[in-house]
Amino acid sequence: MALATPAGESAIHVIRLSGREAAGIVAACFTPLNPERWAESDGFTLHLGRFHDGAAEVDQVLIGKMPSPASFTGEDVYEINCHGGMLTAQRVVTACLRAGAAAAEPGEFTLRAFLNGKLDLVQAEAINDLIRARTEMSAALALAQLSGGLSAALREIRQEILDILANIEAGIDFPEEETDPLARTELLHRLTIIKGHALDLLAGSRTGRVIREGLSTVIAGKPNVGKSSLLNALLREERAIVTDIPGTTRDEIHEYVTVGDILLHLIDTAGLRESEDPVEKLGIERTWKALNLADVVLLLLDVRDAQRGELSAEERMVLTEYAGKVIVLLNKTDLLPDGEYRPPLALQTEGLSLIPFSVKTQRGMDELALDLKERVLAGKAAVSAEPRLANVRQINALENSLRSLEKAEEAMQASAPLDLISIDIRAALEEMSQITGDAAEEDLLTCIFSRFCVGK
Amino acid sequence: MNANKPVEYNAGHFDVIVVGAGHAGCEAALAAARLGCHTALLTLNVGRVAAMPCNPSVGGPAKGHLVREIDALGGVMGQAADRTSLQARMLNTGKGPAVQALRVQADKAAYSREMRRLLFATPNLRLYQGMAERLLIAGGAAAGIVTRTGARFTAPNVVLTSGTYLRGRIIVGEALYAGGPDGEQTALTLADDLRAWGFKLGRFKTGTPPRLTRRSVDFTRWIPQTGDAARRAFSFLPQPSIFWGDDPRRQEMCWLGYTNERTHEIIRANLHRAPMYTGVVEGVGPRYCPSIEDKVVRFPARAAHQIFLEPEGYKSDELYAAGISTSLPEEIQVLLVRSVAGLEQAELLKPGYAIEYDYILPRQLTPAMAVKDCAGLFSAGQLNGTSGYEEAAAQGLLAGINAARRLRGTPPFIPGRADGYIGVLADDLVNKELLEPYRLLTARAEYRLLLRQDNADARLTPLGRQIGLVSEERWRVFQAKMERREAVLARWERQRFSPRDENMRAVLTAAGTALPAGGVSAAELIKRPEITAKEILALMPDLPDLPADELEEAATLIKYAGYISQQELALARAQKKERRLLPDDLNYAGITGLAHEARQRLQEVRPRNLGQAARVSGVTPADIAALLVYLERRRRQTETAKAD
Repeated sequence: MALATPAGESAIHVIRLSGREAAGIVAACFTPLNPERWAESDGFTLHLGRFHDGAAEVDQVLIGKMPSPASFTGEDVYEINCHGGMLTAQRVVTACLRAGAAAAEPGEFTLRAFLNGKLDLVQAEAINDLIRARTEMSAALALAQLSGGLSAALREIRQEILDILANIEAGIDFPEEETDPLARTELLHRLTIIKGHALDLLAGSRTGRVIREGLSTVIAGKPNVGKSSLLNALLREERAIVTDIPGTTRDEIHEYVTVGDILLHLIDTAGLRESEDPVEKLGIERTWKALNLADVVLLLLDVRDAQRGELSAEERMVLTEYAGKVIVLLNKTDLLPDGEYRPPLALQTEGLSLIPFSVKTQRGMDELALDLKERVLAGKAAVSAEPRLANVRQINALENSLRSLEKAEEAMQASAPLDLISIDIRAALEEMSQITGDAAEEDLLTCIFSRFCVGK
Repeated sequence: MNANKPVEYNAGHFDVIVVGAGHAGCEAALAAARLGCHTALLTLNVGRVAAMPCNPSVGGPAKGHLVREIDALGGVMGQAADRTSLQARMLNTGKGPAVQALRVQADKAAYSREMRRLLFATPNLRLYQGMAERLLIAGGAAAGIVTRTGARFTAPNVVLTSGTYLRGRIIVGEALYAGGPDGEQTALTLADDLRAWGFKLGRFKTGTPPRLTRRSVDFTRWIPQTGDAARRAFSFLPQPSIFWGDDPRRQEMCWLGYTNERTHEIIRANLHRAPMYTGVVEGVGPRYCPSIEDKVVRFPARAAHQIFLEPEGYKSDELYAAGISTSLPEEIQVLLVRSVAGLEQAELLKPGYAIEYDYILPRQLTPAMAVKDCAGLFSAGQLNGTSGYEEAAAQGLLAGINAARRLRGTPPFIPGRADGYIGVLADDLVNKELLEPYRLLTARAEYRLLLRQDNADARLTPLGRQIGLVSEERWRVFQAKMERREAVLARWERQRFSPRDENMRAVLTAAGTALPAGGVSAAELIKRPEITAKEILALMPDLPDLPADELEEAATLIKYAGYISQQELALARAQKKERRLLPDDLNYAGITGLAHEARQRLQEVRPRNLGQAARVSGVTPADIAALLVYLERRRRQTETAKAD
């Protein structure tokens, strides 16, 4: 199962399910408006109905039914069309996961289509490249996409699971050595704590507050240089308040948008300037914080000021502090007399991205897309073209991990022997290792041998 | 003629030649001979076959499982250990059904005698003392062995089980000399010969603790460690110990004591003379088997480390000091031993030492223990980079079986990871990059709950029967046991108790578990964690008596049915990939989409199926996808070709 439409804001999102169990999963989550038509359809029909996650209704959706073998993958395929907005899509995905779906591997639909004879050899040539590129990108980048805090939290949970498991396993494989096995009460206590941490993370991910995808991008610039207009141009809708009064954007605004095929998690910030207004001051403070955390900073300058060398202290600071991740957009070139653009002398720093730009005429948009892509490919900034995919898998893995921890906790309370409890803890470790991309068994053995003094 | 070169003579033609009579070699030779192969077994010392140069014990977690599996398949280690048992203990009894494991202290000399008796008593098997110097290879296939003294043995199958003897080097402090384990000589030229044939060798290191004289120890300062009160044995055809018979009260004792701060000071003050730290040691040592100097350095906070004194034989004066493996200078070893309470007067019988040796990189092997690039050549045991008597014996058994099968033209026997630890071992060995000597651990088995020591026979005896190593007697005993098990399980399902059953209520109340509202079956009651099967059995007096271990096994199947079926499900899913066979002639270098590292590793390992390919070190899910695409293309191309 995977989201088939690009992540971000759009009118609808399509979630695709393929495989033998797809029918059962849809049946568990979907109540068709016209049950007879749904039941009797031989396929290639659209059905309206309600999608729910357990008892909770998620959305009104339209489901396309494409049975095997005529579907794209050759398996039973269902395409769920839900309303736009990542939150809704996320909830549909979560409901499917809970009903037993597995998040698709990168390129998995195409692979299945080929293996089921739905694609010819020529098409297949491209598949390997596609799969490799996506797998490597998503594996390496999935984690990098997460904010530093989240990735640290994931690693911390995994390490804690690893520690508990290593303690149990050391005691099992070296029963007569001094491995100081944890008492069952202590094990239970620690399991409960980790479970809590995993739950917190997951709760955050469902509301979309914690697990965010995309290249975290801050739009910075002094007030009224056109930051909100840029945001709106990218979003193609009026979202932030745009006025001529400086300092209208006091809170951060978060949006998702794709530029080229790069997904940006856009953070529009309060303008950078000295201010006495306490509310605005707070906003500016937040801006600096956002700049610190960002993968990319789009520094919007008025091209006329730049050419005159009139840069504010704040602008200079952004240029020096964040040199590696700044893309300078020299805005308002539409206000320059024809042909008058020349690279400002003040900005002749080696390696600095300078793009003559105009929010109004869309000048520079293609260059911006290209620059972002190059950064991603060069590894300067990390993001994948399909970040949702990776993150659905992360959420899936985290949920499975949590379920295993719950089972371990229950088994512990029911006084089950340690070797059974270890089965679930190990499953939790393996799920977490999928997110962090680490090798579970090797790390476990290393942990046993480094933490415990075992041997003859 | 070169004066140093002996005149070669034809020492005979065999079906199988086994080089080395350690734990791997003995199992290999016995299996091959029992399967009807005319077999020669070469050893450096006929008086020391199946010697135990390190600890005087067999078994423990994973290793004990392995011994049960060897026995279930018709191997000999289990019975030899039972017969020479000084003490037997079931470990991990409180930690669950999957990880319980038997460990037996064995009399080393008696074990060797027992094995030699078996070798001499086996038809088709010829024991011969000599040092293999050269491997004969003709037309890319094994052809025989030539010894140092000129004996030329020819055979289409050669099993190398030369242990740690290849280019062995002993290190005790500043003292360095060529030598094999426990005072034996080392085979110096065979390694060069293997290299010359193009086989890839690596170098590992291992170590052993000093041995002490029993009468020099003050046991009042040591804590006695006794064997189990119940009679324990590895074999499913239990053999009484020649030392304590059927009476566990007559078992020998071990003793537990501790190092102290003074011991650690002595070690710390002499680290500059420790070969591990001076750079003398080139081989990589195992992390799970650290020397005492290693322990002191890595765990400075520990004020004491355990020492187990274990008898090397029945009423023997020789004690093995488990826990203080060391290669410090002998002079320092004396000081460190004597710093321990109760060892103030201890006499060193043999110093501890480190040994470095060459091993064959096992990725050159198939999981049948066959060398891939040389038909008829097999390699098993510590020579393959493993550690432990049990790991060696298991590989030897595999190699012996498969040499015999090759001779008969039957496909190799390759146990899977779900068949036993023997399968885990063979699979890990050929797929994983060995960074240290390989030791089996229960943590390495993904289907641990299915690989219990109590069901080794259910898993493997039917396979052993097909192979031809399971005797009529073993088969009869096994079938009778399975029938008893089925009967008791069926009866537990069938037997129902009324909620008003007074006896049942009394048992449940005593166990502190809730009384049922309606009728319940015996099986449902046994599922409850608070209740033992024995308590429920007492309510069914008409049921024939079951041996304690069989009762426990049946109860395990009931109590943990949920977990067992969960692992069986995981296994069934994984099996799909195992059934997808990979052609032997795949040219991985030509598969687009495979990463460079994966290409190299797959070309080397040449996995038999997709599941194995996924377990090869360095192969990612993307590589497996690329492999799938390639296979599908190949299939379609073949189909098109056929249609034309």
